[in-house]
Amino acid sequence: MLVLGIETSCDETAAALVADGKEILSSVIATQLDLLRKYGGVVPEVAARRHTELIGYVVQEALDRTGKTLDDVEAVAVTAWQGLVGCLLVGVAAAKSLSYARNLPLVGVHHIEGHIYANRLSHPDIPFPHVCLTVSGGHTILLYVGEGEGGGYELLGTTLDDAAGEAFDKIAKFLGLGFPGGPVIDRLAKQGDRKAFSFPRPMLRANNYDFSFSGLKTAVINMFKGPVARGEALPLADIAASFQEAVVDVLVGKTLRAAVERGVDAVSVTGGVSANSRLRAAFTEAGQRRGFRVFFPDLSLCTDNAAMIAAAGYAKIERGEQAGLSLDVLPSAPLPGRAGG
Amino acid sequence: MIILGIDTSAYVNAVGITDGETVLADRRYEARADALEQIVANIDNTLKDAGLKLADVGGIGVGLGPGSWTGIRVGVTVGKMLAFAAGLPVAGVPTLAALAYAARSEALPVVAVIPAGTGDTVYAARYDFENGLPVRQGDYYVGSVKELTGVLPGATALVGENAPAYAETIGAAGIKAIEATPGGAAVAHLSGERLARDESDDALALTPLYLKESTAKAFVNKYAARVKGTE
Repeated sequence: MLVLGIETSCDETAAALVADGKEILSSVIATQLDLLRKYGGVVPEVAARRHTELIGYVVQEALDRTGKTLDDVEAVAVTAWQGLVGCLLVGVAAAKSLSYARNLPLVGVHHIEGHIYANRLSHPDIPFPHVCLTVSGGHTILLYVGEGEGGGYELLGTTLDDAAGEAFDKIAKFLGLGFPGGPVIDRLAKQGDRKAFSFPRPMLRANNYDFSFSGLKTAVINMFKGPVARGEALPLADIAASFQEAVVDVLVGKTLRAAVERGVDAVSVTGGVSANSRLRAAFTEAGQRRGFRVFFPDLSLCTDNAAMIAAAGYAKIERGEQAGLSLDVLPSAPLPGRAGG
Repeated sequence: MIILGIDTSAYVNAVGITDGETVLADRRYEARADALEQIVANIDNTLKDAGLKLADVGGIGVGLGPGSWTGIRVGVTVGKMLAFAAGLPVAGVPTLAALAYAARSEALPVVAVIPAGTGDTVYAARYDFENGLPVRQGDYYVGSVKELTGVLPGATALVGENAPAYAETIGAAGIKAIEATPGGAAVAHLSGERLARDESDDALALTPLYLKESTAKAFVNKYAARVKGTE
């Protein structure tokens, strides 16, 4: 079954064609990096306007890259839940129109469920149940992923303030490194000393699976705001490496603790921050030491994309789920439950 | 040719169908914040009202706004993707023109007026009629209702959902208030006229008529202007 996926939940306008939930025939992502750099982050109204301009072209491009036409498409999957409401609705309006005009099955997908399927696209053999950490500029979510297809999800913990990726962006902005912060800090940190500065590891020892990155961000800023104000040269690589290590320690530590306590032997990490090279190395090393298999998506599937939405949508259609013409968006929604308890 | 017209710029959304001469169906429904939830089902129901299927439609008309930013994004996206998926030509029309069309039989000059979000700000434009079609006179107006007097040509037919209240606020003599919301059949008719003249729009490039920048963009521009001014 050839599924057209559409994703517009934040600042990427994306469309993809995926066969049988497994084979990516095309994955087109139009980023709004120019706008993000101009405004220093996502401005919902600005992003929604850009989605409206781009959506048709992105769908056309996803078809053109494969030589397929709409005649070949057998279902439409769209991110309908979790994201910026004004952005989500552009994708859903497009998907509903395509579904109606072509009499195609339509299915709504939760954005986070899409990220989970990004890992399944890259690793079809990923075992269930497992623990999944989704880390991006908008989310830091720890989930227990239930047994088998459609096994549901249990929310274990989430961030109480900033998302992990947001902390990277804010520190990069403070250090004058530009936007987005993740890739530049990752790059810079490779030349730095991870132990140069001792930053807090918020909530690492807390008896829950929640996260907090606001205090860490403040600690970094407080330590260097004097030198920044005086225009002094900063040890940027050491700061980047030490800050990144604090975030990585917390993410790896809490995720593996959840895996131990839930009795699973596999962990998946998804979302934009899962592209971070130090996070990958630390998870892999800790996993090997403690007997966990750790799964990351291909780098092209870490940030928001529509291939993961098509894959998640295919699984829902296979389970007999389908949306009607009244499909609506929700900025915040629970994932389908049933897992674990 | 059968034309399907949609407009989701206001609290009351509209879908209408014309055959170039007569109105075959004209549906209005209170959508409020649920434009997305309701639009496609209402297109389907309006087609059924006229005993038609989407396959019978030869062109699509879209009210581009101004109006609710979210609303016009829904309407424009649905219009462009329906046209794309069904292989149909599409023509956008300013919602103010569709609104003015409701007052085409008035002897007075027509000013269409649409609320612009919060406060007393409105979008407005003056229209004259040539061969029964509205032709905008002068620029679009974005500003307070009270200052609208500056652009009114004296005795005026003021048309819009809040026209009676606006006429009262303006308080000038000779204003005839006509209460109306943008109609789907009016959009279909005006789009059909454009399509008949071979003036179809590029479906994928279709963009709403916002008439106002987003707050963030306005802020950045203002800031940039200030920085430039100090150079």
